[in-house]
Amino acid sequence: MKLTRRNFSKLAGSSVLAIATPGIFAAALAQDKPLRIGIIAPRSGVAGTAGECGIRAVQWAAERMNKDGGIAGRKIELVFEEETNPKDTIERFRRLILQEKVEAVHGLISTGVSLGVAPVAEEEQALLVMWDGTTQDGVKETMANPRYVFRSTDNECEAVMGSLLAIKYFKGKFKRVAGINPDYSYGRNNWEAFKQILGRYGVEAEFVAEQWPKVGTMDLTSHIAALKAAKPDLIFSSMLFADLPVFMKQGHAAGLFDGVKIVLPAAGWQINQLKKEFMPEGIIFGHNTLYFDHPQASPLQKAFVQDYMDRYKEAPHWEADRAYFALAAYKAGVEAAQKAASKWPTPEQVAEAMPGLEVESLGGKGRFRKDKIAEQVFYQGPSTNTNKYDFPTLASIDTFQAEQLQKPPGADFWEWIKTAKMPV
Amino acid sequence: MTELVDVFLGGTFHAAVLFLVAAGLQLVFGVQKIVNLACGSFYALGAYFGITAVGIAIKLGMPPLLFFPVLIVAGLAIGLVGLPIERVLRTIYRRDESYQLLITFGFLLMFQDAFRYLWGATPRTMDNVYLAYGTAQVLGVRVPTYNLLVIAASIAIAAGLGLFLERTKTGRIVRATAENRDMAEGLGINASKIFAIVFTVGCMLGTVGGALVVPSGAASLDMAVDLVVESFAVVVIGGLGSMRGAVVGALIVGLMRAAAISLMPELEMLSVYLVVVVVLILRPAGLFGKVAA
Repeated sequence: MKLTRRNFSKLAGSSVLAIATPGIFAAALAQDKPLRIGIIAPRSGVAGTAGECGIRAVQWAAERMNKDGGIAGRKIELVFEEETNPKDTIERFRRLILQEKVEAVHGLISTGVSLGVAPVAEEEQALLVMWDGTTQDGVKETMANPRYVFRSTDNECEAVMGSLLAIKYFKGKFKRVAGINPDYSYGRNNWEAFKQILGRYGVEAEFVAEQWPKVGTMDLTSHIAALKAAKPDLIFSSMLFADLPVFMKQGHAAGLFDGVKIVLPAAGWQINQLKKEFMPEGIIFGHNTLYFDHPQASPLQKAFVQDYMDRYKEAPHWEADRAYFALAAYKAGVEAAQKAASKWPTPEQVAEAMPGLEVESLGGKGRFRKDKIAEQVFYQGPSTNTNKYDFPTLASIDTFQAEQLQKPPGADFWEWIKTAKMPV
Repeated sequence: MTELVDVFLGGTFHAAVLFLVAAGLQLVFGVQKIVNLACGSFYALGAYFGITAVGIAIKLGMPPLLFFPVLIVAGLAIGLVGLPIERVLRTIYRRDESYQLLITFGFLLMFQDAFRYLWGATPRTMDNVYLAYGTAQVLGVRVPTYNLLVIAASIAIAAGLGLFLERTKTGRIVRATAENRDMAEGLGINASKIFAIVFTVGCMLGTVGGALVVPSGAASLDMAVDLVVESFAVVVIGGLGSMRGAVVGALIVGLMRAAAISLMPELEMLSVYLVVVVVLILRPAGLFGKVAA
């Protein structure tokens, strides 16, 4: 525009008006700009596979939502950062908020990192919607009622479900039980929960071996020899990452699984690496909140799985659902808050609107509780190798709601597990 | 009895891989007096390159039973990366040891990023080799034949290395250079050439170890650092610079770890480092190391 005296007067007049009525103009300007959302997820290290799946899903979700007008009329723009250790991730979180000026941050898989980032989000008054992170120190909730931080379902949900299915399918068929679990709080709590649930429902089992390989151990031959020596009838393992395929491959080759029942509550995360050639059938196989091959899947899940498998030539797992759920819940919160306020909502208004809003995610309907912890649908079941893939699928699907698997707000996990009414 | 055999074979398999990496470390230190922290990177490099080589072999239609030799050849071939690295290390041969540690640690970190760039951050597995060789019965215990092949390959490499150093002219020259570089050079030996050969052979030991182990496990960005730590335990127990020490140290670490996992899994690492501490107190130079004059 050529700057004439008349144009200048118009411009100056508009500027004065804009300064005098910031609320009206800020809202209008905000509506025109893309809605920037920060995504923090691991792309490398042991959790790199999980992070990658979540990133692909959130990109798919943003693209799909943008075609439908974005969030409350604003196009979504994702700004990515890497999740590494707590210290560096906190720096990146601050950068997203302060420099990239994102309106919310989604992501985080490691609870170790989430525990560090969550208090910073509260301090910065920045909305944080976690994919798979929690603010649990072990099983103890460290943030009873945060204002800005939304957490995933409790880490122990899949182990509780795996334990209940072990009772359903294997009760009376095993006596000697061994566990091989990752050597940190997740593995230890899952194993303890499994033992307690078996005891509570009258399963008389002898716990004959416990193995605790550290995450990333790629030679498990000695652990397998120790398990073989204990002669178990059932093995429970909540191993994750590349460790689980390595364990299954080496265990199969050593004959560890001959006639042994197996419970793998977190196997779905490594679905593409768990090849049929070393996976026995009939394993209690956990898919967490997304079973990609569900015959009664929603049109949304079917569309996603189709696109994902066509594009990446592998199956998506639950991290995709967690990423989709975070964005869908945030979208619902923003739109509800905007409707209530009749203007672009503040992070506080969005945070207040989100709890209780039910949204459709890839794996089914979900919502955040009042204490900002997610409730979603969980899928597990006995595995079969009769399918068109090179990895196992489920012979039959057991479906539980998170309310059946996780402690209620404020409850102590170990007390809850003793008294909760569980779907046995 | 069968349990004991199982634990012993598990420990020996781990020792076989540890030996290859520790032997490379020992050879390089013995001759060049360089503590090569990048030895774990060579191990990881062998693992990643092994996956690529087997991928090529599959495309060429080679039968799975040939993948084991393919992995050995791949390990040897990628081990040639030692030649250019040795050229860089030449600049610090006569400098303080801290420079050596820093530069080899730098290589360790740089390799990690190179792996990320070339092979991605996700751990890579190889499914079509480990089970292709089937299983064998050893004293009533079912063992993957592949594990036995790795143990046999490691023993063969240890024997070959021993013969090379003890019985060949080049081996004698290598030992002479290790004893006294200036004297060897005075006698007309091209020490630079010997250093290049030794470093490359040391590198190849690591890359072959990585290539051989990857079918049973996975190649990951963290594998280099994990193995460096265990290799140093081997070296401290066996004695820095001693090949016999590498054999004995690897066996002690492998078997101690296997026994601890079987008897008291919580003490897996403690048991290994307990031996390290005892050796450091009673024989600071290691079981086969030479006490500095």
